[in-house]
Amino acid sequence: MEFGESLRLSLRAVRSHKFRSALTVLGVVIGVAAVITFVTLGTSLRADVLGQVGGERAPNVYVWAGPEGQNGGPGAGAQPVLTTHDLDQLRAIEGVESVVPRGLVPTAALSAENDTVAQRQVIATSPAYFDPGDFAAGRSFEQGRREVVVNQQATSLFDRHVGVGQNVTVRLASGDSVNATVVGVLNASEGGGAFEGLGSSEPLVFVPTDPFYGTTVEAVRSYLEDESDAARLVPDDYVFSVETDQDLVDQLEELLNTLTSFITGIAVISLVVGSIGIANIMLVSVTERTKEIGIMKAVGAQNRDVLQLFLLEAVLLGVSGAIVGIPVGVAGAYLAAEYIGLDLVLPYDWFAIAVVVGVLVGVVAGIYPAWSAAKTDPIDALRYE
Amino acid sequence: MAASDSGGSDATSDRGEATDREETTDRGNAVELRNVRKTYYLGEPVHALDGVDVSIPRGSYTAVMGPSGSGKSTLLNLIGCLDTPTEGEVWVNDREVSALSQRERTEVRGEEVGFVFQTFNLMPKLTAAENVSLPLVFGGVDKNERRKRARELLEDVGLGDRVGHRPNELSGGQRQRVAIARALAADPSIILADEPTGNLDQETGEQIMGLFQRLHDEGNTILMVTHERPIAEHAERVIHVLDGTVERIEEIESPRRVETELV
Ligand SMILES: Nc1ncnc2c1ncn2[C@@H]1O[C@H](COP(=O)(O)OP(=O)(O)OP(=O)(O)O)[C@@H](O)[C@H]1O
Ligand SMILES: [Mg+2]
Repeated sequence: MEFGESLRLSLRAVRSHKFRSALTVLGVVIGVAAVITFVTLGTSLRADVLGQVGGERAPNVYVWAGPEGQNGGPGAGAQPVLTTHDLDQLRAIEGVESVVPRGLVPTAALSAENDTVAQRQVIATSPAYFDPGDFAAGRSFEQGRREVVVNQQATSLFDRHVGVGQNVTVRLASGDSVNATVVGVLNASEGGGAFEGLGSSEPLVFVPTDPFYGTTVEAVRSYLEDESDAARLVPDDYVFSVETDQDLVDQLEELLNTLTSFITGIAVISLVVGSIGIANIMLVSVTERTKEIGIMKAVGAQNRDVLQLFLLEAVLLGVSGAIVGIPVGVAGAYLAAEYIGLDLVLPYDWFAIAVVVGVLVGVVAGIYPAWSAAKTDPIDALRYE
Repeated sequence: MAASDSGGSDATSDRGEATDREETTDRGNAVELRNVRKTYYLGEPVHALDGVDVSIPRGSYTAVMGPSGSGKSTLLNLIGCLDTPTEGEVWVNDREVSALSQRERTEVRGEEVGFVFQTFNLMPKLTAAENVSLPLVFGGVDKNERRKRARELLEDVGLGDRVGHRPNELSGGQRQRVAIARALAADPSIILADEPTGNLDQETGEQIMGLFQRLHDEGNTILMVTHERPIAEHAERVIHVLDGTVERIEEIESPRRVETELV
């Protein structure tokens, strides 16, 4: 029996019970949709991370001192222990192009005109921290001047948006106040470096280390631990951490992989449940159509023809579950991506995998029912009422 | 006891395939049963057929009669390769079918015999044309060829205007005519009919008899089970079955002929 005819007959069998078929494939739809949603999100997140961290900023090395075993991204638990001398020494190491200090200055509040908002800290760094392309408006601050750079979120801290040229007052935790001018506003997408968290949506205020801060730095471990001033300044149970952007990407990959295997586990369970649903309905279908099987055999259908028909029917159910599941999953991912502000990247290879899985589910679910249909005795089947 | 009439041999000479068979056959029998037993074991054995010897000559028209439960359907099912005997030999077109593999028996069902059932046994979701071409689907006949053949056959049985109808959109007589067209689709030389008029009114039954008469005139071998005497009288001979054995074989001097052409 030719495949096309088989397909036509099986398709008709599936369509003759539309509602039942739809309910049957629901398990597969949910399983496939769940996988597609999470894989799409994972792919999008990975692309986002690689786009932000990788690329032109790849050869960055982050150095800080913090409590041993502290979790979190680069800079977690960082303490101000590196001196300007450390900075110079690190800069002298071969292969180091520039050393950019970065530290947190504890603050009490920020005010612009008569509007005051609480702000826990500002970030002290050097102009090299920014690329010219990072700015939506203005420029980087200059070292030794009372200038600040803010991100998009920070501009809307105040009732009246803060812009380039505006004066702000930074009230330090120590009680002193420093008046400064906003000279630059970062792009919306520019959350800052790895230290600020990726795609951070917090208001950030950047200030030059001079005059705001005196003792910050970053770079390579042996120097740090053996010779640096920092080595003397650091508390005993603190360790130096040196991380590159690649390390960060690796960490995220690891996280995504863990997430993916977790979701895959859930998906496998729902696909198993889906297969059982299909197997069950196929057994019902075989019993219901015993007489038809008898008729087909009476007019010359071989066992393999009957097997093919029923197996194909199960595969059609599995595949249609997968095909419906893909857009449902993408829709789910789209909504989630909208919510967290991520650009959607579609994992096309996973769409193909989903269809293959649909076929496999159909085959696994259909093989026993189809086999039992195929071995039906024609005379018994014809007698069946 | 060869009963091939002149009409039969005329038609056989048109059909090269059938002529070949005639040459290789020893006694010119389309079907032969030798000491066939079919026993069901339900606590104690039930002999549905108990040592049956029957020969059905090629091109003959035979009716099988007998009381309910005498084994008529069992006999037909064995010849049609739907069932296998407990004992004995069933020869169809000079092949011992109980010795064939399941696969080969299926081929016999698909190609050498055409079965017409009392309850029509049409596929409910398929149209008349699709039902008729079903044996050809399994026989691996090309799609266009199938469509053409189904249309021809349906026109032959007077259903040229019902090609796209499903069984539930057809009357009982029309369904049986579709079933007959299906039985003829693979151009089998033997037609087996188990009470083909059992579910039909007398007039429609006559139409079906008219069809069988034409098939017989064209050289087909027809074996038909019936419990109605007037229907049986269309055949050339009647095999009377009783309690699983052949009671007697009756020759019909002048078989009844249907005069009205069906439309
Ligand atoms: N599957 C079966 N299991 C047990 N006994 C069976 C089976 N099929 C048929 N028989 C028995 O075999 C005998 C012959 O049955 P068969 O169907 O051949 O009768 P029949 O002559 O066609 O009767 P009817 O005119 O009522 O159709 C009956 O006694 C029946 O009970
Ligand atoms: Mg019967």
